[in-house]
Amino acid sequence: MPNAILDPTGRADVAKASSPGLMLAPRRPDLSGLQVGLMDNTKHNAALLLAEIGKLLAAEQGATVTVEATKANFAAPAPAELVERYREACDVVITGVGDCGSCSASAVADGIGFEQAGLPAAVICSDAFVVTADAMAELRGAPGYHYLRTAHPVAVLTTDQVRQRAKQLLPEVVATLTEPGRRDG
Amino acid sequence: MTADLTKAELDPDAAHGAIEYCYAQGWSDGLPLVPATRPLMARFLATTRRSPDEVIGRLPQLDRSVTVELAAINAVMAGCLPEYFPVVLATWDALMLERSTTGGGWQSTSGPAPLIVVNGPARAELGINAAGGVFGPGFRPNATIPRAIGLMVRNAYGIHPHELEQATQGLPGRWSICLAENEEESPWPPLAAEAGLPPGTSAVSATLLRTCEFVDNRHTSSAEHLLADFADTIGRSGAWIFRHASAGIVFCPEHAQLLAGGGFDRAAVRAFLADRSGRSTAELAGVGKDYCDDNGVRGPGSRDTEAGPDSGGFQRMLPGSEPQNLLVAVAGARNAGISMVVRLFGGWSGTAIPVSGT
Repeated sequence: MPNAILDPTGRADVAKASSPGLMLAPRRPDLSGLQVGLMDNTKHNAALLLAEIGKLLAAEQGATVTVEATKANFAAPAPAELVERYREACDVVITGVGDCGSCSASAVADGIGFEQAGLPAAVICSDAFVVTADAMAELRGAPGYHYLRTAHPVAVLTTDQVRQRAKQLLPEVVATLTEPGRRDG
Repeated sequence: MTADLTKAELDPDAAHGAIEYCYAQGWSDGLPLVPATRPLMARFLATTRRSPDEVIGRLPQLDRSVTVELAAINAVMAGCLPEYFPVVLATWDALMLERSTTGGGWQSTSGPAPLIVVNGPARAELGINAAGGVFGPGFRPNATIPRAIGLMVRNAYGIHPHELEQATQGLPGRWSICLAENEEESPWPPLAAEAGLPPGTSAVSATLLRTCEFVDNRHTSSAEHLLADFADTIGRSGAWIFRHASAGIVFCPEHAQLLAGGGFDRAAVRAFLADRSGRSTAELAGVGKDYCDDNGVRGPGSRDTEAGPDSGGFQRMLPGSEPQNLLVAVAGARNAGISMVVRLFGGWSGTAIPVSGT
């Protein structure tokens, strides 16, 4: 009997768990009167894009931006204290921009983390990083997790172009953060 | 074990089948792997006192980790000999001191490559090339030690290209740059000694690179000419994306000796290059990199109204003149004035890890 070939991944014993999938946080029918948190990940134009979306939500949806913070380490998911800060002061969170190899994956991990903390989240990723974002969703037991995709590249956009992007993204942000079917409520 | 078989007893068809099995599992970096077995792994583990269960690396965002045992399996698969294993472990430990390797570095669009520099008696004991063709190929430890690191990232961390690994282009030499310092023909103390270890210690220094580019200069006898040539290559704008960027130089013996003859030790080389490597603000404006935003990322000064040049007429590329900002090693043949500038992904830890066996 020949020797067995060893598995180099350390996952030989880990069965492909059939994930129950992610339970999204409960949504309201609309964003009126809700407190919005923005979490930028230091990627160029991320803070501006989120701020512009925040302004539009305030002007058009009656929401209020209560927390605008930066996740200092774009490569890693947000630390628990930061998630807690949003949980205490916000009803919904918008985060991004997933615009690099590690930060797209971790942005998706953040979105899933916010949902698990009870906060509806809208995650914005560049469409060049869909594969790695999806891979992270699968890794976190949330295959098919919905996040917003915006055309790559984001970092080279001018201020006006970023404002334009914010306008384009707004309907999907609202739809993502509210209960499906009642998004115009 | 294979080593005990006579030539007539070797079974290439069985070997081929096992190699193809490894490909089919998705374990390969593209080249054939040596299938790992328990007895072979045991020979690797016997070269270290460390427990097979010791966790030597963890990526919390992926919920994956590397143990000494997984390192051994991947080192087997990379084609290492058992006696290379302590160097593989020291290399991994040295890389773990780099900020990016515990963050998102392995997933990065820049696709960085480890640079591994070995000092001390381990070089001769293992036959690690320090002389001609030191950037490869042709030498088993030089080729397989970095490959083991790459397989650990691929298999133990589960970071695969086109999935969690998002290198835009990657770079030639990823998982293949391991060199012994040519201490015998270097005019300076070993790199590991500069990093604080006693001379004669077998040790590994490692960092991550974005690329390597040669400086060929063999017709001047002036140390200042030579250093000015390096300063020009180090300061080129294409490699510059943040406020500062760190670099390194693997000097060929001829260049190192010329510099030493001109009175330059490592510190003097670094001081000269820290001062002289860079571009004028006007040149940087011409390529849209004259201004740093709040996150320290370079872009055109005109993109924000309040932006302006932040450092007068000349902007220095290196963040300082410490070893962490400009790694200096000596390797290669003494047959021409050809050296390699290396581009650091971040900074170098400035630390060398001793190679410890049993």
